[in-house]
Amino acid sequence: MTAPTPMPSSDAEIFDRGYRPYDGPRNGVGTGMFSVFVASVQRALGLRRKFRFKVVPIATIFIAYVPALVFMGVAVLLPSEFADEVVADYAGYFGLLSIAVILFTAFVVPEVLSTDRSSGLFGMYMASPLNRVHYLAAKFGSLVLLMFLVTLFPVLFLLVGYVVNDIGPDGFVNTMEVFGKIAVSGLLMSVYFALLGMAASTMTTRKGFASAGIVMLLIGSGVFASVLVESGDAPAWVALLGLAGVPFDVISRIFDEQVDQIEGVGTLASVGAWAGVCAVCAAIVAFGYKRLEVTK
Amino acid sequence: MAPTSNSSVVSAAGVSKSWGTHRVFSNLTAEVPHGVTGLLGSNGSGKTTLLGMLLGLHHPDAGELRILGEDPAHAGPQLRQLIGYSPEHHDLPNDVAAQDLVRHIAQIHGLARREATTRASDSLWLVGLGEERARPIGTMSTGQRQRVKLAQAIAHGPSIVLLDEPTDGLDPVQRDDMLELIRRISADFGIDVVLSSHLLEEVERIADNVVIIADGTVRASGPISELRSGRGGVIVQLTDKSSDVAAALRASGLVVDEQRDRLVVGTVEPANELVDAVRDAVADVQAPLRRLYPVEQSLEELFLTEVYTS
Repeated sequence: MTAPTPMPSSDAEIFDRGYRPYDGPRNGVGTGMFSVFVASVQRALGLRRKFRFKVVPIATIFIAYVPALVFMGVAVLLPSEFADEVVADYAGYFGLLSIAVILFTAFVVPEVLSTDRSSGLFGMYMASPLNRVHYLAAKFGSLVLLMFLVTLFPVLFLLVGYVVNDIGPDGFVNTMEVFGKIAVSGLLMSVYFALLGMAASTMTTRKGFASAGIVMLLIGSGVFASVLVESGDAPAWVALLGLAGVPFDVISRIFDEQVDQIEGVGTLASVGAWAGVCAVCAAIVAFGYKRLEVTK
Repeated sequence: MAPTSNSSVVSAAGVSKSWGTHRVFSNLTAEVPHGVTGLLGSNGSGKTTLLGMLLGLHHPDAGELRILGEDPAHAGPQLRQLIGYSPEHHDLPNDVAAQDLVRHIAQIHGLARREATTRASDSLWLVGLGEERARPIGTMSTGQRQRVKLAQAIAHGPSIVLLDEPTDGLDPVQRDDMLELIRRISADFGIDVVLSSHLLEEVERIADNVVIIADGTVRASGPISELRSGRGGVIVQLTDKSSDVAAALRASGLVVDEQRDRLVVGTVEPANELVDAVRDAVADVQAPLRRLYPVEQSLEELFLTEVYTS
């Protein structure tokens, strides 16, 4: 019988893995808020979840970017003097995003907000170092970022495409000016729809009800306002009751696109409507969560 | 913030709380020492409300409540970082993996992501879900969900965990396992545990201390061993003159049950006065005393006595 071959020595160590008390560093509330922020973004986009949860966000984002790709293709294929006539301008592209934005608001915002209450996770958050303000701030931040996916980023994508294809603004200064207008427009639109979706989601723990409510509110208010305006008797500002159109009207003023502006309504009234809707929605969210009793 | 050095991890002094016109607590006073403490009361007695107040979710209308030496209604996030909580309900996000939920809860309690990931894994192994940690919670049984709730309550390394009905919905085997786990968490890792339950037998098995709540007040609180002994009276064993001692005790106004080889002497408060009275009676008739010891009540007897006869 041969002697066993000695094992070569190595630096391998066996660590005693297992639960133990923790006395290491603890970060502040910011870490907790960031974790809620990241978890919300992941949840909304269906990350770390089954494929069926990714369908709606992917489809909506697809809707937001496809027109930009088409316009860029047109810019590449057609001479620039023709392309300029065919492709959408920046304010116009924000308008093209309206369907994507409404769908995204209706399906993503309730997913981020309502499910925490129906799943009992909200109570667990409130039993943690986070309070309601921390929670809502993290949720709002995540929703604004998510909204950027269908508001700001597609238009920035379009800007880059136009610049690359020589139909964008001339020179660095002009490019930065357009960039600034797009950034402000994207932010205004994202804040508006994030708050509107949050307000609707505050009122119910049922995602489906919140989604239906958002679609009906945005489309129904627009139809209502159009009927009143077209009847001829209503003052011009009634058009601002169409909630979905308010941020697009503000954006058309930022880009000074008079064709897209609501006739007979001043810039102050338009911005005031935007701010008013945001304030009312924020108040609904704040009031709703303040009186929300954590019972489980 | 370091855990309190005080002998009480939870204290309540004159706490009152109402929900609208329904008074939940009136003048609730108790001290909860280190170890495992059972919060006993019938359904609707306010156990969950008390846990909610300890978490700072509800504020007392009057009185002073402290956990780890701090007022939970006004303490900052540093206090809540040291508290773990497992709610009564079994609703958890169904499509989230157990590992992700536990890590997330550890992160919101201030742990860095890497540390939270490691500790989430360790916690799930501890509660017996190591192999199942990547499974969505929605695919888990009630017993597994209870374990996930326990894992998320301890993953961030709390000083105290508040467990609301932790054995609710479990079969007897799962309940035994869960009670053993809770006992281990306190004994092996030094985490104080306050668990609410209406099941006396399980509290009796694992708790060092008990707080019995009924009609908005604390009916009894303290170490179970102390509460059980003496409250049922004392047993006197004599080699002779049993009848004489019984007569002497009855003459002192005590209730005496003469059994075959012993006398069971009824309760008086305080308990040490009963022992003194028995000693005096035995001495007066010069009876040969063989043994004198307190009657031990079960927790159930104690609960029934305190809740229904007080």
